[in-house]
Amino acid sequence: MLAAPGTIFFIVFFVVPLASLFLLSLDKPSLGNASVQWMFDFRNFERFFGRAIYYEAALRSAGLAALVSLIALILGYPLAFLIAKTTNVRRNTTLMILVLSAMQLDMVIRLFGLMVLMGDVGLINGFFRWSGLIGDQPLPLMYNFAGVVVGLVQFSLPFMVLSLVGVIQGINPALEEAARSLGATRSQTFWKVTIPMSMPGILAGLLLVFAISFSSYVVPTLMGGWTVVVLPIHIFQQVVELGKWQFGAAIAVVMFAISFIVMMIYQRAAVRASGGRV
Amino acid sequence: MNDNKKLIQTNKFQLGLNRRQLLKTGAAAGAVSMFNINHAWSKDVMWDGEPFDADGATIRINEWGGFWQEFMTSNVIEDFEKTYNCKVAYDSSFPWFPKYVASGPKDPAFHMGNWNLNEIIKLGKAGDYFLSTEELKANMPNAADCWDFAFGSGLGVTWGFGQYAHVWRTDLIDPAPKGFAAFWEDRFADKRATYITSNGLFMTFFMTAAAEFGSGPDDMEAGFEAMRAAMPMKISDFTGNMQTQVERGEVQIGVQWEGEIFLQMDKGIEVAPLTWEQKPILTQTHTVSRYSDPVEKKLALALVNAKLSPEFQTKAGEAFYLRPSNSKASLPERLKNKGVTNTAGALEGLWIPDWNWYLDNEDEIVETVNEIFAG
Amino acid sequence: MAKGQVKVRRERSVPVIMRVLAIVSLVLLLAPVVVVILAGLNSGDHLTFPPDGLSLRWVVAFFRSGAFLPAYLFSLLLALCTMFFSTILGTMIALVLARNEFPGKQMARAFFMAPLMLPGIVLGLALYLFYLSSGLGLTRTMPGLVIGHVLVTCPYVIGTVNASLVGFDKSYEEAARSLGAGPLKTFRIITLPIISPGIIAGSVFSFIVSFGQFDVSLFLTPPDYNPLPIALYSSLRYTFEPTAAAAGIFAIFLVVVSMLITARLTNLRKLANVNFS
Repeated sequence: MLAAPGTIFFIVFFVVPLASLFLLSLDKPSLGNASVQWMFDFRNFERFFGRAIYYEAALRSAGLAALVSLIALILGYPLAFLIAKTTNVRRNTTLMILVLSAMQLDMVIRLFGLMVLMGDVGLINGFFRWSGLIGDQPLPLMYNFAGVVVGLVQFSLPFMVLSLVGVIQGINPALEEAARSLGATRSQTFWKVTIPMSMPGILAGLLLVFAISFSSYVVPTLMGGWTVVVLPIHIFQQVVELGKWQFGAAIAVVMFAISFIVMMIYQRAAVRASGGRV
Repeated sequence: MNDNKKLIQTNKFQLGLNRRQLLKTGAAAGAVSMFNINHAWSKDVMWDGEPFDADGATIRINEWGGFWQEFMTSNVIEDFEKTYNCKVAYDSSFPWFPKYVASGPKDPAFHMGNWNLNEIIKLGKAGDYFLSTEELKANMPNAADCWDFAFGSGLGVTWGFGQYAHVWRTDLIDPAPKGFAAFWEDRFADKRATYITSNGLFMTFFMTAAAEFGSGPDDMEAGFEAMRAAMPMKISDFTGNMQTQVERGEVQIGVQWEGEIFLQMDKGIEVAPLTWEQKPILTQTHTVSRYSDPVEKKLALALVNAKLSPEFQTKAGEAFYLRPSNSKASLPERLKNKGVTNTAGALEGLWIPDWNWYLDNEDEIVETVNEIFAG
Repeated sequence: MAKGQVKVRRERSVPVIMRVLAIVSLVLLLAPVVVVILAGLNSGDHLTFPPDGLSLRWVVAFFRSGAFLPAYLFSLLLALCTMFFSTILGTMIALVLARNEFPGKQMARAFFMAPLMLPGIVLGLALYLFYLSSGLGLTRTMPGLVIGHVLVTCPYVIGTVNASLVGFDKSYEEAARSLGAGPLKTFRIITLPIISPGIIAGSVFSFIVSFGQFDVSLFLTPPDYNPLPIALYSSLRYTFEPTAAAAGIFAIFLVVVSMLITARLTNLRKLANVNFS
């Protein structure tokens, strides 16, 4: 069968390693031991849900990802709309290239660029200070939750845009024209025709951005100033710093469970949005 | 070979380690050798100090990347590969601790490593990974000329070090800050910076704060209080980030080590190091894996020995502002003009933080401090 | 448009509020890029902004650098390999998923999307442990690293190819088969033209994602050969150098050039089509 190579690949290199990791989460924590002991002990999960710092991190991770997805949608849809509706080929090619180039900038270097823009003595604060909008105290735009949100939105916006452009373009213009000719205003047409027709793209974009933001390690680490501790950071700390593979694996299981739930929500929504035909 | 090994007297170079700390490190070394199962190649004297032909063998090392890697490659590794007819596989993607742990001690992920003591001691606790300092001393001619503190950890040999200091912007701060506690002054609120808990400089910072404000470097509660009192404070991931923040003025006083500060000074940035009577040091330490195959083990010993040579140490001092651990190494001009000397007297007052204590308590420290940092 | 036909102006005017938000997005996307480009062209000694002056010295330093240039080339090679395998595997999977109905199809789709849901470091760690215990000899090798990259880029390929297959009518294929065309010919003449935008889009995605991938590479990197993000991170831990900015510039340059080439082959807008359901 055609799908055989891909499926085998996934099973061998995805399912098996992950299964071992998840089994590891059921072992008692022991420093420096990374092999599965088949203990089926739940104390790692008890610890996770027992200490506030961990389950709060779970809520923070999910909340952050949801927020970023929403913002990316609000910012990304117009840009995608613009690219989709611009008929001038050179212009829309340029826009596409700009979006793709932004995707390509390495995260650590991007941090420098963002620091220049958003830091306490950065360009944005400098502008506000110069225009008299704020006094001496700089606006804390980096090394906090806001900084992480901006960093994640900046990072995932291209993914959202690229999920939307094709779909918006594919909307049959006759439908929109029909609505207009029936007396609908531009705004009504947009909300009653265009948006529903863009749903597959919207949902795909939301899911993709959620996944990216939820699992990101680099952005919260570099932009959060250690005040935004999300689950990937905990995993890294537990496994790399503290050598507690078992607990780190438990956190990974929790992450997987949350993603799974989100995935299910997406699937339901996608089925409803496409009117039952998938 | 030169039999005239000069013995350096232990007593003179205490470095301010009190008896308790010294004893603890000794105990750690003892505990490590308890793991020492009677393995075939764990007991041999492994290298005679002479170059040999390794017949194209490959040794794996873990060491810092970027410019550091370029320096090491052109100053040590290229010649080494030619002299010994071998290949050096250089892994620069930190972190290495999980890689060692995943393979286990008997099948070492790397044959030789250059990293920091906190990571080394952590790995030492997780298993019998390294040759002890006794074995290292017995197999490396250059080790004889090194200051004694270089072997204090029991697990590896320190070849370079630098003093922990606070970096401060001389053009932005007036009057000049004095003493360790200046970091906590109100005028620096949100303009001071330290590191995340996984960074060795943070650990040093924490222990020094505990000693300054409490009963000693192991007074955890005092350390936590100091962290709380220091908020609001910026937290950096690595020293490169700290450098940039200081250069841009976002941070006016920060936790650093003197090498970075000297580097910035020589670049023309208006900074200076702030030091005080207590002098904790940060080290670059080499380890050799115990259960490597004989040829790779000999190569590892030879490579570490090359790093202990006085000529190399001078060059490293030139490039990275690192103080040498070899008593015979001469200091480059750029260190001398900052007042650094390489004498027994210069070592007075220097101390290595008690990594063993920190690692024993790391879980609690990390969780509590993260809660404090998160606000 | 055929000659003589009247050109009807169909330019849809984009409402002002949309334009404004679109520009905000573009600024957000591009501002850090501009900063980095200017910093990399700085004639001064260290990474500052605004730049002291403009010069190519750091770009030259990048070409001469022992750490960054090899890393750049390695990333290039790695991304090309990833792109190749990911596209093939992903296309095959997407074809099967789109064409057939079977119970548990939703689960299957979710399954192939799953690598995106987990942090890259978890995947990297799990694979690292797996390589060690399986004795396949993949630990710290390039194939081992490619496997990790393919895992995280395949979902994108599946998404884009799937999107191009939405509404795909199997009867076209059946018609071709009933007219005597073999499966390969059917694929080439009927299916391939329909999915080719999706395939190209997926390839582009997988290239870009692989080139910039940090998390998965962290534990799977072979010694001596680092992908660019890892090399940059290792070096920037200690000093922020302008050479790093130059490396970043080159990565962007690479994308711009390859996109311009791709634009000759197909309308770039067609690349932007993703569907995971």
